Amino acid sequence: MNATLDLFTAWLHGTAISQAIRMTTWLWPLCEILHFFGLSLLIGFAGFFDLRLLGFMKRVPISAAWTLMPWAKAGFALAALTGVTFFIGAPEQYVHNPAFYCKVFFLIVANFNAVYFEAIYRKQVEAKELDLSGPSALKVIGLVSIVSWLFVIYWGRMLPFIGNAF
Amino acid sequence: MMEVLASLENSGFGVWLRESPSIWAYPAVLTLHTIGLGVLVGGNAVLDLRLLGWGRAIPLAPLEKLFPLMWIGFWVNAISGVALFVGDATTKGTTWVFMTKLAIIVVGVVLLLAMRRTVYGRGEHTPMVTPASRALAAASLALWFLAIVTGRYMAYV
Repeated sequence: MNATLDLFTAWLHGTAISQAIRMTTWLWPLCEILHFFGLSLLIGFAGFFDLRLLGFMKRVPISAAWTLMPWAKAGFALAALTGVTFFIGAPEQYVHNPAFYCKVFFLIVANFNAVYFEAIYRKQVEAKELDLSGPSALKVIGLVSIVSWLFVIYWGRMLPFIGNAF
Repeated sequence: MMEVLASLENSGFGVWLRESPSIWAYPAVLTLHTIGLGVLVGGNAVLDLRLLGWGRAIPLAPLEKLFPLMWIGFWVNAISGVALFVGDATTKGTTWVFMTKLAIIVVGVVLLLAMRRTVYGRGEHTPMVTPASRALAAASLALWFLAIVTGRYMAYV
């Protein structure tokens, strides 16, 4: 398993795109800036919606709060795109790092939670059926979202400090 | 000045923050700084974009509750930021990037206060969007983005 992983890492490291990412000196800092800005948009807009699900700012209809969700998705897309750039540029920094797998685990939890919400509740939200009251499952979804995104940040920050550091 | 910075950096706290292998030292403070950033810049972005015309179905009045949230993010970052500064005072205290970042944050905070005043007043009018509040929102969004730019850039000086 480890041998396969090392082969993959070596192959990815040697690809032209990986080399290009490492050679372009301004690209890494630029991606870091955009990664943090994407993170902020995600925490701000998803967090806003999650707090509403948890019962804060009740005078904001859930259907109205939902209309800002594309900004959370844009933030996630920005962070994901720049994150993939980091991985392609220096895969060896990540594949043996436990913090990376913890981060991916919470990314999966957070995304599964969001997809579950959309699959079950999106239509009702957009039809304004949940503006006055909704099932308590929405509170669980909001809480899981906030907690899992905070753990994504935590494990992301731990990347340079755990395992084979940067 | 340099002696003050050096004594900060060599203080018990400065050494602990920088050199302790504990993940409760530097890594934990850095994590708090990142979460505070997300809450402050993210909460601010929600209000800014609402003022700039997105999510018009959201009533303005309850959004005033974003301010306490932003202040929590701000103070988490002010405190964690002071800790990070103490750990690396001679470098951060002498670079223009850090001074620029501080100046941006001061202006950003002033803009936040002005935005609250413009949109919500002091209870003397119902919350409203004016050209002035839109200009403040755009400036605020740009400034906090620049705070991130200068903050990230500090890792390279």
